[in-house]
Amino acid sequence: MSAIEVRDVWKRYRRPHQQVSSLKEAVFSFLRGQSGYEEFWALKDISFSVEAGEAIGLVGPNGSGKSTLLGLMARVLKPTQGSIGVEGRVCPLLELGTGFHLELTGRENVFLNASLLGLTNRETARRYPDIVDFAELGDVMDAPVKTYSTGMVIRLGFSVAVHLDPDVLLIDEVLGVGDEHFQHKSFGRLMDFKREGRTIFVVSHNLEAVRKICDRAIWLDRGRMVKDTDSEEVVTKYRAAVAAWERSLEETRAGDARPG
Amino acid sequence: MSELVEVLRYREVLWNLVRRNLKVRYKNSVLGFAWSLLNPLLQIGVWWFLFKVILPGRGEANFMAILVTGFLPWLFFSQTILDSTACVSQEMAIIKKAYFPRTVLPISVLLSNLIHLGFAFIVLLVLFAIWRVDVNAHYLLVIPATVLLALFAYGLSAMLAAWSAFYADVKFIVSNLLGVWFFLVPVLYPLYVALGADRPAGNWLETLIHHALPVIKQLYMLDPVTVAIVAYRSALLHGGANPVVHSESPWLADQYPLWPYVVGAAVISVAVAIIGQMIYQRKADLFAEQG
Repeated sequence: MSAIEVRDVWKRYRRPHQQVSSLKEAVFSFLRGQSGYEEFWALKDISFSVEAGEAIGLVGPNGSGKSTLLGLMARVLKPTQGSIGVEGRVCPLLELGTGFHLELTGRENVFLNASLLGLTNRETARRYPDIVDFAELGDVMDAPVKTYSTGMVIRLGFSVAVHLDPDVLLIDEVLGVGDEHFQHKSFGRLMDFKREGRTIFVVSHNLEAVRKICDRAIWLDRGRMVKDTDSEEVVTKYRAAVAAWERSLEETRAGDARPG
Repeated sequence: MSELVEVLRYREVLWNLVRRNLKVRYKNSVLGFAWSLLNPLLQIGVWWFLFKVILPGRGEANFMAILVTGFLPWLFFSQTILDSTACVSQEMAIIKKAYFPRTVLPISVLLSNLIHLGFAFIVLLVLFAIWRVDVNAHYLLVIPATVLLALFAYGLSAMLAAWSAFYADVKFIVSNLLGVWFFLVPVLYPLYVALGADRPAGNWLETLIHHALPVIKQLYMLDPVTVAIVAYRSALLHGGANPVVHSESPWLADQYPLWPYVVGAAVISVAVAIIGQMIYQRKADLFAEQG
């Protein structure tokens, strides 16, 4: 049984020409006869399936649709066409820690966040000591989150996520969070997950981490899938492509500088 | 329907959000939760000053009880509507972070305000004890009246929550409209003042008003907020051994055939709730794509 099944997925965003955020602007742009929207396909015809227990990396330049794809799998976004099925408890780690409410204490936020990710308050209470322990925030859990440093917020967010007992873990660019010590710890935790046979889906610009954690990688470029194979191979080819692109940039610049 | 089943599955989230709403509203204030009681009390104090000191000799012996009883449903209604215009933009962080049925947001606003209404009721009972007002036989009628009002408030909330996610203007329009709406429901004046309004035909404008008035009065009576206010007063203040107001009192609508309007307002409330929910669900898929 596949843990993740993505079939013929297309995702279109409608971007307003200018950010229309008031009725007045909406009325004016309507009167000027502008459609108001610019269509943009963030993902084009993406299909793949993931077996339970696989660790998959998602690489590609900025704007290639990686976060959109992750958002679709987390059910935060809806595909314009195609279908996406994910089996089991999904734990998305998108924009880590931003789901916290600044006025509430760390403890209150843990319970709110965990319930959003599918835990009952009772289950959260049972894991609470471990969550606090892992985040190393024992003495500040009853202070409002607005008094935390960025690193503390991120540690707490990561800690909640990894204590949820997820079947599928979706991680968006949060591998390099926290200080050196916490990075080691979170990396170790991910490797544990992998050993336990959970499905991991990682978006990262940190190619070394992708190579280490993932067996398989998907390379996206401008919404299209370029490659979907062994992570070693994808990382090597992707690096080569980036290097080639940088060389061509350099040459154009050199060309522009030449007089004539 | 399936969305409501989904909300039930996520009731833990709903409950946590409600608790969060109750806590956050008064976080950073020294008096904290007391404000949810102090706010209406201060408002009532202003009216007491207005009607007992500046304009004395108006109304009946239990004038204050009549005012306060009508004010409760209004306070619940207006606060629910107002809160709903912020509920999506405030939760953008969790909307972008995790899936949950988005309907949880307006429902959490409704539930938080129902809880506030419950607290306000306790204050009301204390005031009644001070004013030596008996709570009366039909007090349970408050429940269906609240259900009707809650459905109406929910439908409007859902609509406004969806639109305010895309247009910041909605919030300002709503707070202004509520200021007008307050005078279009019989909180500060008895129903007969509105229903007895008459303008003789004269110039074109007066003639227009003259002909429009019967229609306006019908609409006025069909407003679920009006019906709820009248029902609260009838339920709590009228009948029983020691009625605060007598059947002939202008503050009650006994002299008007009220039931057709109750039915009409109930139909309107259910329709608004369904339409509001439909609009909200259609827009909710796009929330996470907002800036």
